[in-house]
Amino acid sequence: MSTKPNDSLLELLHDSREEKLLSVYITAGFPCLEDTMPDMKTLARSGVDFLEIGMPFSDPLADGPVIQQSSTIALQNGMSLGVLFEQLSAFNGIMPAPSLLMGYLNPVLCFGLEAFCQKARAVGISGVILPDLPMREYLESYRKVFQKHRLHFIFLVTPTTPESRIRQIDEVSTAFIYVVGSSSTTGNQHSDHGRETYLKRLLDMNLKTPLVVGFGISNATSLQQAWRYAKGAITGTAYIGRRMKGQSPDKAVSELFHQLGLKPRSTSDRQAQTPEAETTVEAFKPLTSKLYIP
Amino acid sequence: MRVQKKIIKVCGLKDPDNMRAVGMLRPDMMGFIFHRPSPRDVTDTIGDLPLLDIPASVTRVAVVVDQSLEFCLGIVERFGFGAIQLHGYQTPEFCRTLRKHCLVIKAFALRNALPVDVADYEGCCDYFLFDTAGTAAGGSGMTFNHAVLYNYRGHTPFLVAGGLDHDTSLNILDLPIPYMAGVDLNSRYEITPGIKDPDRVNRTITSIRQPRPHKQGNPLKNLRLQRVNQLPHPDENGYYGEFGGAFIPELLQANVDELKSVYKQYINEEGFKNAFGQLLNDYVGRPTPLYYALRLSELFGCRIYLKREDLCHTGAHKLNNVVGQALLAQKMNKKQIVAETGAGQHGVATATVCAMLGLPCRVFMGEKDTRRQKVNVLRMKMLGAEVIPVTSGSQTLKDATNEAIRYWINHPDDTYYLIGSSIGPHPYPDMVARFQSVISHEIKWQLAEKEGRQDPDYVLACVGGGSNAAGAFFHFIDNGFTRLVGAEAAGKGVNSGHTAATISVGSQGVLHGTKTLLMQNADGQIVEAHSISAGLDYPGIGPMHAWLHHTSRAGFLAITDTEAMEAARMLSLTEGIIPAIESAHALALLNKLSLKETDVVVVNLSGRGDKDMETYSEYYPHYEENKQKQ
Repeated sequence: MSTKPNDSLLELLHDSREEKLLSVYITAGFPCLEDTMPDMKTLARSGVDFLEIGMPFSDPLADGPVIQQSSTIALQNGMSLGVLFEQLSAFNGIMPAPSLLMGYLNPVLCFGLEAFCQKARAVGISGVILPDLPMREYLESYRKVFQKHRLHFIFLVTPTTPESRIRQIDEVSTAFIYVVGSSSTTGNQHSDHGRETYLKRLLDMNLKTPLVVGFGISNATSLQQAWRYAKGAITGTAYIGRRMKGQSPDKAVSELFHQLGLKPRSTSDRQAQTPEAETTVEAFKPLTSKLYIP
Repeated sequence: MRVQKKIIKVCGLKDPDNMRAVGMLRPDMMGFIFHRPSPRDVTDTIGDLPLLDIPASVTRVAVVVDQSLEFCLGIVERFGFGAIQLHGYQTPEFCRTLRKHCLVIKAFALRNALPVDVADYEGCCDYFLFDTAGTAAGGSGMTFNHAVLYNYRGHTPFLVAGGLDHDTSLNILDLPIPYMAGVDLNSRYEITPGIKDPDRVNRTITSIRQPRPHKQGNPLKNLRLQRVNQLPHPDENGYYGEFGGAFIPELLQANVDELKSVYKQYINEEGFKNAFGQLLNDYVGRPTPLYYALRLSELFGCRIYLKREDLCHTGAHKLNNVVGQALLAQKMNKKQIVAETGAGQHGVATATVCAMLGLPCRVFMGEKDTRRQKVNVLRMKMLGAEVIPVTSGSQTLKDATNEAIRYWINHPDDTYYLIGSSIGPHPYPDMVARFQSVISHEIKWQLAEKEGRQDPDYVLACVGGGSNAAGAFFHFIDNGFTRLVGAEAAGKGVNSGHTAATISVGSQGVLHGTKTLLMQNADGQIVEAHSISAGLDYPGIGPMHAWLHHTSRAGFLAITDTEAMEAARMLSLTEGIIPAIESAHALALLNKLSLKETDVVVVNLSGRGDKDMETYSEYYPHYEENKQKQ
């Protein structure tokens, strides 16, 4: 394992073994304030390749009801960027798996962009996703700060993004492009109609940046479809929904894997990054062939 | 005429020590009641009272009920009373005669109307005193409906009596009523009848004599009035200075880009402008009158015009913008309209135009607001719109906006999002301001006809997101002359934690696609706004206003719920116009400004008050009483 945690994301994305990646989104401070770290550890131990840590916001425009509600609960629990960074600092700069922060611009601006980047880097965060910070604004006034702190900034593309803009996004991306699977808020189960063509179109563009598909990854079919065209897939609502129903991180991840058609996998290759690994936890691993067997 | 120094009269003293203690506080007048049925009567004890211990600066007033001229002259002579306060049926002639010997205060008892004979006493009394009816002996602790004082036409200064406590006294003295000379404090300041609590009296005297915070200085002294040769258009990325822009997720980028290009194509196109103008005239009912409000002008001693946006179809300025955007939606071949609404005015306007154009319409409305504004929900439904109650977050306008945007994200191809305020990502704030700018365009030529000049000294408007203010300010921003003043909703007070005064308490941030001033906590979470008016409780302000504030081109003052409600009552009684509570905030600004006789002031009356009747009647129980009597 690399001693430079912030590059571990790139290592994963450019893994020569053609391995497909799975990422899970969690809301920091949900369902309980102190759940951020246990959830991250459990997910990493279970074979989730990288993590997205949601920074809760009072007005999450791009999110569906499930993640909205988890954000509200997290805020009620007292979650804030200050608290989150303090929690993450307990990892001593080495995340259980490469991790991204995802959220909305306003709390970041309020925290101070420079201070935010500096803290994120210090706790071992690899990159940041801020859906409401558009490319134009990013390039003009934000990029230099993210670069200075060696943080990746992840852009989204959607079925409505024109090719010229996708090319531009490809040009300025450093880690991966977040492919929004359908025109929808998170957790919306749209029909897959049109998604296949859309993903194929992206693949055929031969972009230099790896693609990771998110929004609407909720079952084996959508996961396999994403993996066919992209390097990885992100799921969020499916996991958050289970935690909201009161399931433990272990049960939630186990059921999530089942829902996604994935089999348990060993944790040996993750244990190096998981200082407090508990051996009693049942672990899962995606099928090595990455082919869905019903 | 505004009586500047307010008179404080403490009435109903009878105990020697208490009298001395109150005298030390130096009220302007102290009253002694000569009326045997009263528990404060001094008829038999007056000789024993140390009247000479009262400081000479305090006028001693004898309060009498239907006494003879001889009696009055007798006590003036024997006890050195400087004034007689007459209760009962003495004639104007009686007052005139008595006035040769001392000051005369004629008392009138009232409840819901001024007595008809007040005018007969004009010129033969020094002061009138208005007291609550049915309490001839005084001290019942009952107040009368102070709003009737707006109907006072006389030129004799008057005092107000009847159940005044500390807060009521201060509020009354704040009313913009000419010849209001002071307050009479009695039973609410007593320990037992006739014994005043010097501490309570002192508190009120001190407060009244202190300059009131909002009356200090000129709140607009920092306004920068400089001619610029440019109307308030943002740059091509939607920025007004550092405010604005389009902070939208990629999910909306294509939609917003499409809107931007269609907007740019049509806004100056003749065919579009004609279609828009035609609908404004024939459907909305424009031009709306610019009404010279004579009685309001008399109250404030300047020339006040009301821009009657309340006379637009659907009862508010909102329709101007909706018509424009709906025409654009048609040009874009959109199949349905989605909108957010707070008070329901924008929702009703949208439902109205959608019905007229045959477009399906969905309106998101905070569940709390659907309960506060039931009638507007019914109106939207009758107009064929689907009203979707929003249960997320604080269940008000900000959450309705979130849901409308989410719906738009989920239906990007066929849906047009029709924003009602000058907020949101570029080009919305510019577009809304342009469509609303018909307001200031009309003011210019209407004022030229009436005043011989196009530019008023002041334009006043309320600001939530800021669409009516944007429209009313628009064509005056470049003139470097007109003082533009926005009223933001202070709610229960700027520092009460229940406010919507974004400029006063907000800081820069990004919400709903625009960089502007927001109400947020230390962690950048948006906080809930509060205002008695559902149309102003938005925790942000349009980027154009943030910029006008930042560059000091416009001033923004916070108006509390109480001030707005009082202003609504004032307009209703002086001009026969019930304003929307939103617009009442703009009217309340009149009381905060130092206006000169030559000043021409335009108040944008953005909406009418029909929708607010429930709130008004709950706030003013007097109206309920009236209803019961009828």
